[in-house]
Amino acid sequence: MRIAVTGKGGAGKSTVAGALARHLAGRGHTVVAVDADPNPNLGLCLGLPQDAVEHMEPILNALLASGHTHNDPRPDPEELLARYGMEAPGGIVVVATGKIERPSNACLCCGSHNTTREFFGGLAADGRIVLADLEAGLNDLLWARPGPDDVVLAIAEPSAKAVEVARRAVNIAQGMGVERILGVANRASDGDVAQLAEALGVEVLGVAEDPAVEKADEQGVAPFDLDDTSPAMADIARVADWVLASAPAEAQAAPAPPR
Amino acid sequence: MPDGGQPVERTAREEAVLATLDRQAAAIAHLRELAERATGDDRALAWVSLAAQLDRAVRDHQPLLRARRLEALAPDLAAHQSLLERHVGAARAAVTALDADARRAAERRHGRRIAVIGKGGAGKSMISATVARLLARQGRNVFLADLDSSHGTGFSLGIGTTFAELPPEALEEHGGSSYGWRLASGLLPHQAVHRHAVTGPDGVRFLTLGKIGDPAEQRARRSVVALRQILGGFAEPGWDVIGDLEAGPTTPFERYHSFADLVVVVVGPAWRSALTARRLLPIVAGTPTIIVTNRFRDEPDHPGLVPEVRVPFDPAVAEAERAGRAPLDEAPGSPAMVACEQLVELLTGEQDRQSDREVVP
Repeated sequence: MRIAVTGKGGAGKSTVAGALARHLAGRGHTVVAVDADPNPNLGLCLGLPQDAVEHMEPILNALLASGHTHNDPRPDPEELLARYGMEAPGGIVVVATGKIERPSNACLCCGSHNTTREFFGGLAADGRIVLADLEAGLNDLLWARPGPDDVVLAIAEPSAKAVEVARRAVNIAQGMGVERILGVANRASDGDVAQLAEALGVEVLGVAEDPAVEKADEQGVAPFDLDDTSPAMADIARVADWVLASAPAEAQAAPAPPR
Repeated sequence: MPDGGQPVERTAREEAVLATLDRQAAAIAHLRELAERATGDDRALAWVSLAAQLDRAVRDHQPLLRARRLEALAPDLAAHQSLLERHVGAARAAVTALDADARRAAERRHGRRIAVIGKGGAGKSMISATVARLLARQGRNVFLADLDSSHGTGFSLGIGTTFAELPPEALEEHGGSSYGWRLASGLLPHQAVHRHAVTGPDGVRFLTLGKIGDPAEQRARRSVVALRQILGGFAEPGWDVIGDLEAGPTTPFERYHSFADLVVVVVGPAWRSALTARRLLPIVAGTPTIIVTNRFRDEPDHPGLVPEVRVPFDPAVAEAERAGRAPLDEAPGSPAMVACEQLVELLTGEQDRQSDREVVP
């Protein structure tokens, strides 16, 4: 199964993606977490230490450092995963596609979006869950190109801006033929959940505003590790339920249909 | 194939560069004309603005002179360089001839050019739009540009998703431009702003990128180069320019902030927001930066990131964001808005300090 997590910056994409991955892994699923943001920080929400997140070497950066050039054929995504994947708590393997850190990081400009596609669409998704945390905004969703077999989570916090971005994300995903689309109202009251459901026209689950998440964010640790039963973490467990229930065949590790 | 008087075949890329040089020459000729015609205090202002714009133009031209891919344009690039140098000479002479008080006064009126960057959700749009309106309330002319391919700035400005894009006649297709589109030939940056920018609350003039997900799918790609051309070439005397960039490092990496003489980095309370700011600073190295902490409660400052202004957490602002309305309208006088006023004082006051210590070229 492939899951793409999208939404406005700051809406809670990485928080939801990180905790969702931990819940899924905790239920025995093999999870590959792809951090597609050129400002990669999903690792933190998965439970990696700050130092590892701050200094992690994403695929494109590692390739360039090893002498790979723009014109060389890119190795197969599975090989890159084996080479550059890092193990996070729960047995999750996390890879970041690229990190922009210097004005001279040539290649990343055209590379990082392409890599998003490679890693969202190019990794085998039978018997495991490939979960991609996309860059803020909608550009990366266009590049990831999810299809009819994939799941899209559109995350919004209760602000008009975030709801508008999520609404567009749902439209784009529907236009790509995605059938399993879930809206996630983050930091939400019941009223916010209903409002987002009306705006998106798809099913929406709420993730409660939660002081434990806020505290974890401030401290720079994974909310899941601070308290995996806090209200928000419990709500994200329900997102995991929805994701698994939406694909009963795959939940039993049956091979995915050909793309 | 330059022999025998044959017309020279240009690549699309070369044509695009030549068109850019032409537009820049025309924009500078326009500023020069303003300076020649201006009288009284406006004259000092116009020359100071021209000198500043020429500094940027000369700086931006240097990489072109060295670009190997543009070797075929060497004569054109050299001619442009000497054109810029002639203007620089005239502007320098005019500014030097000003007395110190007139020059200082002109520099106070000369606008700021500010790019706002940070992690998604840090508060870039809220700060950009609020500062734009507060500057306008001081009687300054303000051009605010939304460089995000998702809606945001318009909400914080107070106009929601009201159409504020460049209309089709301001754009033209050209294979040599990134994304295949650029500002229409013959349309100078100041004309584009005067003709096409929406007039928002407090008189802020506002333009935005097309948005991803609009029915016409390519609108964001079509307008991005044109909007950046406007930002780079818009140097009307006495105008403040604010560009609200898309979240994260991609747009600073692509030098969307290159129009600016100051970059404001907005940082939220989360560790990841600080991590983002630490990653952004080297990407915008070369342009002065100031750090603004947003939604500040009483956390210790992030290590290595010393804020010049702390905009406090403010439930009234959160409520305005929820409703998609301008915090300045919904929560006037609230602690966050007062902090934004401090930021505006810093931005306009900073200018005095700079003019005290810097000699204009």
